[in-house]
Amino acid sequence: MLIQVVISGLVIGCVYGLIALGYSLIYKASGLMSFAQGDMLTLGAFLGYSFYGIFKLPFVISLVCVVLCMFFLGLFLEKAIIRTLLKNHVLPVYIVLATIAISYIIQNAAMLIWGTQTLSFPQIFPIPLVGVLGVKVQPEALFCILMSLVCMVALHIFMKYTRFGTAMRAAAMDATAARACGINVSFSTGVTWGLSAGVAATGGILLGPIYGVYTMLGAIIGRKGFSSAVIGGFGNMYGAIVGGILLGLVETCTSAYISSAYKDIISYSVLLLFLFVKPTGLFNEQALTD
Amino acid sequence: MAPLLEVKNLNYSYGNILVVKDVNLYINEGEIVTLIGANGAGKTTTLRTISGLTDASGVKGEIIFNGKNIQKMPGNKITSLGLCQVLEGRHIFSKLTVRENLLVGAYTRKDMDNVKKELEEIYTLFPRLRERMEQLGGTLSGGEQQMLAIGRALLGKPKLLLLDEPSLGLAPLVIREIFEAIVRIRNTGMTIMFVEQNSKIALETADRGYVVQNGQIVMEDTCKNLASNEEVKKAYLGED
Ligand SMILES: Nc1ncnc2c1ncn2[C@@H]1O[C@H](COP(=O)(O)OP(=O)(O)O)[C@@H](O)[C@H]1O
Ligand SMILES: [Mg+2]
Repeated sequence: MLIQVVISGLVIGCVYGLIALGYSLIYKASGLMSFAQGDMLTLGAFLGYSFYGIFKLPFVISLVCVVLCMFFLGLFLEKAIIRTLLKNHVLPVYIVLATIAISYIIQNAAMLIWGTQTLSFPQIFPIPLVGVLGVKVQPEALFCILMSLVCMVALHIFMKYTRFGTAMRAAAMDATAARACGINVSFSTGVTWGLSAGVAATGGILLGPIYGVYTMLGAIIGRKGFSSAVIGGFGNMYGAIVGGILLGLVETCTSAYISSAYKDIISYSVLLLFLFVKPTGLFNEQALTD
Repeated sequence: MAPLLEVKNLNYSYGNILVVKDVNLYINEGEIVTLIGANGAGKTTTLRTISGLTDASGVKGEIIFNGKNIQKMPGNKITSLGLCQVLEGRHIFSKLTVRENLLVGAYTRKDMDNVKKELEEIYTLFPRLRERMEQLGGTLSGGEQQMLAIGRALLGKPKLLLLDEPSLGLAPLVIREIFEAIVRIRNTGMTIMFVEQNSKIALETADRGYVVQNGQIVMEDTCKNLASNEEVKKAYLGED
């Protein structure tokens, strides 16, 4: 039982981590929050369903297509909506509101395109179950954990060891200095939004085969991903991952050993506890104003 | 020969407050020029406008660098043309290491082999940066951050290096050290313009100087002449 619980905790926890990563990237680059992160996951799952389930493309190709589409959607939203609002010098809260609007528009559009039913995402692997440490699990679950971790490591390497990744971090820290160093800050901010969307969509296509695909798939996961980012230390990439996995495990353990009815009470209590006891999160980001 | 930088009738306003008024200045290749003036005179705004780092909608006038009018160019493009600025207050990337900070300075460069060589030269110019290579920028002392900021700008391979108040907030000994480095950079043939409130050291270091008052240039001369000018002595060198 424990192993099963841990695996499903890791599955959802890794996906929370991916979403939280997006929140952290966007917050660092723009000082904003995008409440459309969860819907990027939904859209990723639907697009994955279309590419893989309907157009019958190989899974890897479908994954690449989804990530590319969503990357450009994220880039576009930043350029077309966020940047335009910023240029008009509106308060940040208006921009956050705009992301909520984007969120509803995506949900509604997805409903119009793919319908209101829960779609079953075709299996990725030919065998339905594999044995791990004496329990049987869906291979897609293991794949979800593995791919999420790969995605996180790849993002880490990109941000830490490539020129452009370092430039993105620099631009997020000090836009004026970055510009003085020759960095196109508006482009690097756009890429940050694109990456956040791409990462969230990866979560969607990984989760689709396990949870099914429906318009509200990302709504709750998006909020939990936000909580994960806060628990980890808002704005910290590594905190986001750890926070996500922690929240996933707390949630599945509660469901398994107490009752699934208490799952959200307990996990949001954990969030509140963090807000009171350790507002800087696990990884000590600045969360306090002077 | 035409000057390396020529600024003609430059005006800058924040909203409707005009803070740079009809500024004309030039810098020839190989020169070291200073802009002195009181706090709030508009020196930083002038420098940042030259570098394309202020809001373009507030700018009027011509800025010709290396034969090109750069007045409407975005700041990152201007940097890639070889006009690099060490910003007032240093603006170190606090959570990047010293090495990463320096490499971000070389962001526009394609010739990575030369960058590696120049990185070594920076470490020779500022040995303390080599010792602190893997330390985060934010953990450096003020003087070390200034060295880092200068090193970072040098890695952009400037044809013209702008420095905005390199002495700001530093102890006298450290200021001396920074200015010795500036002279050494200058001796490599680099063209330099710097802003200073510390007029004494500025006039000792530069060839030529401009005096800025309320957004206007009120005097321009060789530093030798400026240093012996009665008005300058009174207002900026604290002598009677
Ligand atoms: N972002 C800004 N918005 C409005 N006014 C500003 C801004 N930055 C500077 N100023 C004003 O412009 C004038 C010149 O400032 P600045 O260029 O920083 O002078 P200096 O560098 O010579 O001390 C000052 O009166 C200052 O208050
Ligand atoms: Mg200034």
